[in-house]
Amino acid sequence: MIGKEKLFAKLDKVLSRSKADETEIVFVGEESGLTRYANSAIHQNVYENNASVFFRSILGKKIGVASTNSLVASDLEKTLDDSCEIARNQPENPDFPGLPKPAKYKSLNTFNERTARFSPRDRAQVVKKIIKAADRKGFNLAGAFSTASSEIAVLNSKGVRAYQPVTAASINMIAMSDTSSGYAAGISRNVDDIDFAGLISLAVDKCERSQNPQPIEPGEYEVLLEPAAVASLLEWLNYIGFGAKSFMEKTSFLAGKTGKKITSNLITIYDNALDRKSMAFPFDMEGVPKKRVPFIDKGIARGAVYNTLWGKKAKIRSTGHALTPDQAAFGPLALNVVVAPGKTKRDKMIEKVKKGILITRFHYINGYIDTPNAVLTGMTRDGTFLIEDGEIRCGIKNLRFTDAMLRAFKSTVAISRETELVESWWSSVGCLKVPAIHLGSFKFRLPRPKKKSPPCSGLFLYGETIAL
Amino acid sequence: MKDKLKECMDWLKTKGVEYADGRFVRCETESIQVTNGNVEGMARNLDVGVGIRVIANGAWGFAATAVLTPAELKKTANKALQVAKASAMTLREPVKLAEQEPFVDYYRTPCEKDPFEVPTDEKLDLLLDCCKELRKSKAIRKAEASMKFFKTNKLFISTEGAEIEQDIIESGAGFEVLAVKGKEVQKRSYPNSHGGDFATRGYEFIEEMNLMDHTDRVREEAIALLSAAPCPDTVTTVIITGSQMALQVHESNGHPTELDRVLGTEISLAGGSFLTVDKLGKLKYGSDIVNITADATIEGGLGSFGYDDEGVRAQRTPIIENGLFVGYLTSRETAPVIGKRSNGTMRADGWNRIPLIRMTNINLEPGEWKLDDLIADTKDGILLDINKSWSIDDKRLNFQFGVECAWEIKNGKRGRMFKNPVYTGITPEFWNSCDAICDRDHWRVWGVPNCGKGEPMQTAHVAHGTSPARFRNIKVGVSK
Repeated sequence: MIGKEKLFAKLDKVLSRSKADETEIVFVGEESGLTRYANSAIHQNVYENNASVFFRSILGKKIGVASTNSLVASDLEKTLDDSCEIARNQPENPDFPGLPKPAKYKSLNTFNERTARFSPRDRAQVVKKIIKAADRKGFNLAGAFSTASSEIAVLNSKGVRAYQPVTAASINMIAMSDTSSGYAAGISRNVDDIDFAGLISLAVDKCERSQNPQPIEPGEYEVLLEPAAVASLLEWLNYIGFGAKSFMEKTSFLAGKTGKKITSNLITIYDNALDRKSMAFPFDMEGVPKKRVPFIDKGIARGAVYNTLWGKKAKIRSTGHALTPDQAAFGPLALNVVVAPGKTKRDKMIEKVKKGILITRFHYINGYIDTPNAVLTGMTRDGTFLIEDGEIRCGIKNLRFTDAMLRAFKSTVAISRETELVESWWSSVGCLKVPAIHLGSFKFRLPRPKKKSPPCSGLFLYGETIAL
Repeated sequence: MKDKLKECMDWLKTKGVEYADGRFVRCETESIQVTNGNVEGMARNLDVGVGIRVIANGAWGFAATAVLTPAELKKTANKALQVAKASAMTLREPVKLAEQEPFVDYYRTPCEKDPFEVPTDEKLDLLLDCCKELRKSKAIRKAEASMKFFKTNKLFISTEGAEIEQDIIESGAGFEVLAVKGKEVQKRSYPNSHGGDFATRGYEFIEEMNLMDHTDRVREEAIALLSAAPCPDTVTTVIITGSQMALQVHESNGHPTELDRVLGTEISLAGGSFLTVDKLGKLKYGSDIVNITADATIEGGLGSFGYDDEGVRAQRTPIIENGLFVGYLTSRETAPVIGKRSNGTMRADGWNRIPLIRMTNINLEPGEWKLDDLIADTKDGILLDINKSWSIDDKRLNFQFGVECAWEIKNGKRGRMFKNPVYTGITPEFWNSCDAICDRDHWRVWGVPNCGKGEPMQTAHVAHGTSPARFRNIKVGVSK
């Protein structure tokens, strides 16, 4: 960690050299460690000390971006000059609204000293304990445990000076038997807030209960989606639909539907980076304060998140969702998606499922199939159960779903009052905050012809591991 | 830098490590994206640093820094050592590496025209002209064209005496259009989706794409898709074109043959593989005409290099021979499990990541058919072109792909267009249903610059040589 004063002194010095009409500097520095384990032993263990400095130079409405990971003064100055040169050599962007002006940010405590100082040895000790817990049941354990401290700063020639130090700790674990697996995960700014013992007990329990999974016919089922499963659906819905770019280019499933009912009125989804009980963060990578932005409010489509450029195009103000300047072409992105909790106690939700499937998490979802209809496909993974008459009957073999999410969300039966924080692989800055959801209808597809095709030559040895 | 890294290696030897290597990587990138005539993104990045990998007390440690002073490098070496000692707290089996000759060498990829020396105006003009042509119809909502270039200098030093320097240049470009009518949105791309095509070559690769020659066709196909019939939900014969075959090979041959994944070390993110080691030399993976090789030596392939990031020389090795599964992608740590030496596939996404087993150029070797003959030989079927979506389970068995566009094949002739096609299958069943592969005239190496793996996430640049191929009894359908 460099620290606010020292960092601004260094970057201000470079900024003062700029010959551009407007200049912005974004600094992202990180010291992080990640311990990965598989087959009940640590097999990868890494440490990194790095920083990225992005310069955005503006000449009229011409924009140039250059970045470096060297903090040597001469390298920073050269990169600044490069960004100016890039700006000079390109056409004007008529939509560019100018860099943001200074603003006030919500005061958030996002740094935890204990997480920042958590050592490789500390992580190994945690991993050793959870491996031992899985060992007691004869299960293998795999997963990853990371701790990181970062400092993020945005400054520009109009006077923006934003700085925030953050820490993050996250762990995922998969307990595995010969025929089953069980997953659990946790994330927090404070490593001591993660209940490692509770998580391993959950992963082991899921693994134990899903042993010898039974096949089930694909088709339309009620599903009880646990928070990790809900989060992975939302990650893709966010990616293809909650940003202004897809919203305005009409590829988003929300486009053209503002004010219209698109899901059950039990569904409310929004972005809120200012929630102190989540992975909060006060500003975006242009130094604009984060705002709470609704996407779906009680089933009604509302809107998208904006940065300054897409805000100008839409004639509204930025909602504080700009990414780093090198990712400008992607447009704005929500980093703290929340599904509002419902009224049902989570442990009571299963009682209302007559015949359905409990899904712990999904694997390899893809949402590019038909974005205006929010069609997603993916596989279940690490704890899939058949529910009959309100009780778990048995573990079942994994299934592929392909379904239009707005259609599925129209069938919402209940939402849990409890929510969980779930790490997003789109970003390390925020996370998702989601409940469990009971849907009345969710479609699983058959991957192969219904009638067995004429036998092909060869021996198939995958019968035992095949998912369907 | 060589001397500084050698000092680190010498220091680590004095600390009694079993093995160590250090990699210096300097990577310069340039990306340009033009959308509807506006430059939406134009950026240059320089990323420099050193990563040090250590085996101590039988376990791995890795530390990386962007600060390149001698004191910081020594601190980083010590950090890697401490990380290894922490890893050893859960040790079950000490790490043992396969034997490897410590090469001292220099390698560079072919490059006729350094893309970083090509004037910005020239690149921008080409992309802007593409967009202009693509937007000649009101039905086109968005026209997007992009280029990306990488220039990487790598130095590898090990305690075994390896000293390898490599200079690798990569170039890529492509464009896509979105056509919109009411609620209907359709996309077409050239030469491939997801950013186009990439190679370890210079700007001449971009020039050879002849981007402007394809704008009219791509625009008109996107518009035609708006009124095309939905792809029927049926079981039929499919002919898959080269670029989609590349992703098919990637997901259902490349990833499952990574031996680290097979041995369970990728479970926490991407899952395992159905190709357990008992299947080596026994599984009939595909029909007799299916031959797949891993070949890091193809000139210009995006997965080509001189040496991997463990200092193992680039190789060509068989994965599937006449339908039989015969080989994995391996590393120095995993190869001994199957009684072999590494076939050189360990690569890291930069100085700050550890090397993992990554695909090189994983190629479906060409067959004997001409595409026109193959279509003429197909009574009923569907021709599938260019990837739109992809998903496969955590054992790499149950897959579903969506493509941009399909055409009906009826009585040996290509007919009407279908929109929103998807096809699904189970990996070995699918490959065993392959009964025709097009010849070398149709064969091309497709660069895939976005292969994700590992935690922290690493993005590898890989490639797949493919030609169109035919598969029987495949489930196809609409996307919902």
